[in-house]
Amino acid sequence: MQGAMLILKKELVEFFKDRRTVFFTFVMPLVLYPVLLTMMAKLAIREAGEREGKPSRVVLLDPSGALKGKLEANPARFQIVPRPEGDFLQAVTAEKADLQVEVEPGASEARARMDTFKVTALYDESTGTSRTALKRLKEALKDYDEAAVKERLSSLKAPEALAKPTRLESKDAGDISRQMRKMLGSFLPYVLLIVMFAGAMQHGAYMSAGERERGTLLSLLATRIPRIQIILGKQLALFTLSLLTVVVSLASMAFGIGRMGQEFQVAEAAEAAARGGAAAAAGNLSGLVTPSTFLLTFLLLVPLGFFFTAIVMLVGTQARTTREAQTALTPGIFIVIVLGVFSMAPGIEKMALLPYVPILNISLAIRKLFSQQANMLEYAVALAMTTGMAALATWQSSRILGRESSLFKGGD
Amino acid sequence: MIRLENIHKSFTVKDRKTRKPRRIDAVQGISFEVRPGEIYGLLGPNGAGKSTTLRMIASLMKPDAGVLEVCGVDAVREPDRSRAAVAYLATDMNVYERFTPRELLRMFGEFQGVDAVVAERRGLHLLEKLHLTEFADVKMDGFSSGQKQKVGIARALLHDPKVVVFDEPTTGLDVLTAKTVLDLLRVMKSEGRAVVVSTHVMPMVEQICDRVGIIYGGELHGDAPPREILKSRNATTLDEVFFQLAAEGEATLTGKEA
Repeated sequence: MQGAMLILKKELVEFFKDRRTVFFTFVMPLVLYPVLLTMMAKLAIREAGEREGKPSRVVLLDPSGALKGKLEANPARFQIVPRPEGDFLQAVTAEKADLQVEVEPGASEARARMDTFKVTALYDESTGTSRTALKRLKEALKDYDEAAVKERLSSLKAPEALAKPTRLESKDAGDISRQMRKMLGSFLPYVLLIVMFAGAMQHGAYMSAGERERGTLLSLLATRIPRIQIILGKQLALFTLSLLTVVVSLASMAFGIGRMGQEFQVAEAAEAAARGGAAAAAGNLSGLVTPSTFLLTFLLLVPLGFFFTAIVMLVGTQARTTREAQTALTPGIFIVIVLGVFSMAPGIEKMALLPYVPILNISLAIRKLFSQQANMLEYAVALAMTTGMAALATWQSSRILGRESSLFKGGD
Repeated sequence: MIRLENIHKSFTVKDRKTRKPRRIDAVQGISFEVRPGEIYGLLGPNGAGKSTTLRMIASLMKPDAGVLEVCGVDAVREPDRSRAAVAYLATDMNVYERFTPRELLRMFGEFQGVDAVVAERRGLHLLEKLHLTEFADVKMDGFSSGQKQKVGIARALLHDPKVVVFDEPTTGLDVLTAKTVLDLLRVMKSEGRAVVVSTHVMPMVEQICDRVGIIYGGELHGDAPPREILKSRNATTLDEVFFQLAAEGEATLTGKEA
């Protein structure tokens, strides 16, 4: 294996000599993900703040004036606007209205009779301001109903408890770190699969077909290092680089997600203070990923990385140029993306066969590790299956790549 | 030191028109020997089988049939051992452009089992012989093809091999660099190494080769000192011999087709 180690060293030294590649592989993701995620959080908070700070434009069709007073009493939340000409959706698009409220004619009389009247709300689910307006209307109607019930009970000289047999007090037992863990668990496998394959693909094409294209492959083959060790050394280097890419991306994303969580916490605390209430428990974001979670995830990535790199090497070495190799490998990234998207689907973990489906069982295991619901049997199955696949792929690729016809193409 | 006996090598390629596999007999029963301190020239047009023969000597390819010995080692059975005794250089070989010559030579020294310090010392000595010392620490991405070829020569000779196999070592080089390479080949001969070179440049063969073998259509036509070949073919230059062979080849092909 000494020859393979020398090739590994050569590939890594060659890689780190190219500052531009190092920058785009390691430095840029380190900066990019936190900046992007923080920006996303800031934008979302700003948009929500802007929505909350403005009154909702309501087209009120209330012939008896049953709700008019209630809505007009809160100008910070509602602004009654005249009925627009044409379609309601056009008015929403033109930012002239957010909600249309139609109150049944004779609603005031119905209330006086202690009867129920119908309120129809027309809104646009795809527009944030319209959704906010509906939420506000529901809150206003809840207050209205409570006041009406109170009034009715009082007139009947009945206790208030008559209309409230139960009183629900809910308290979130979890904290933000639990939410974050769940979020990480659902999208992390997707990111890991894609980053790992993309990293292997990018560097693999350079190391395999690129070496042939640049005319350096022959000089390696002419040394005393056996071919099988040259191939293994290259695969090891590729594996190391793709794993490093994943680790850097993960670290960067974890930091970015932490920053995003902090932004939301600050915004939530400010909102709670404005309402005069207390903010939710902040939770401890620093303990988001425990060393054991990290280690167990890393252990799963080792055979997965070997599996991917064996495939990339196999495809890459069959190509004559780097471009040809990249073209041949492109369908692979689509397959990985599909698998990744599938692994993010909610409720997928309930599929009974999933622990036995290759690659997807890795997603499942990682998801459960991060959600702190790890099933060690499923974990062991995923690890064993992927290790077997990686060994098979590595053996097969070494066998094919060792062939003279693979190393010397027609034009060589 | 090098012995080829009835060597055969064929490839299967896909015909672009018919998309069917087609067998190409690149080397058909070639036999020759190269002794220590001898320079053997392998001549022939493109596609004659020169490079395939040299690659087999360098244990980069395996013969389909025949006996191939390098320094007493059966190159068919023990290619890794046999390859360790050979310096191989071809025109289509390039250098790692992100490295400097010093770094590259140290690295290839390790690949060849030579201690890094010894490899660096030997490498610098070779660079000096090739007039490239002042570029030892310059990244090779800006090197000319001649400079790269010189580094390639140093790389190939780093492990002090007994057999030297150079495939068209002067192609694309200017006159001065080509002369440096030829001088180095003479030095290697004087050091007792067995040298095999393939080339299109006939005057170079006449200057430095002790014996020549002319390959045409995968077969060896003549294996003798250049003067004897000229005499037997009643020619004044090797170029003439070459044209004669080409004409004979055409006639054979036409005869076969008829």
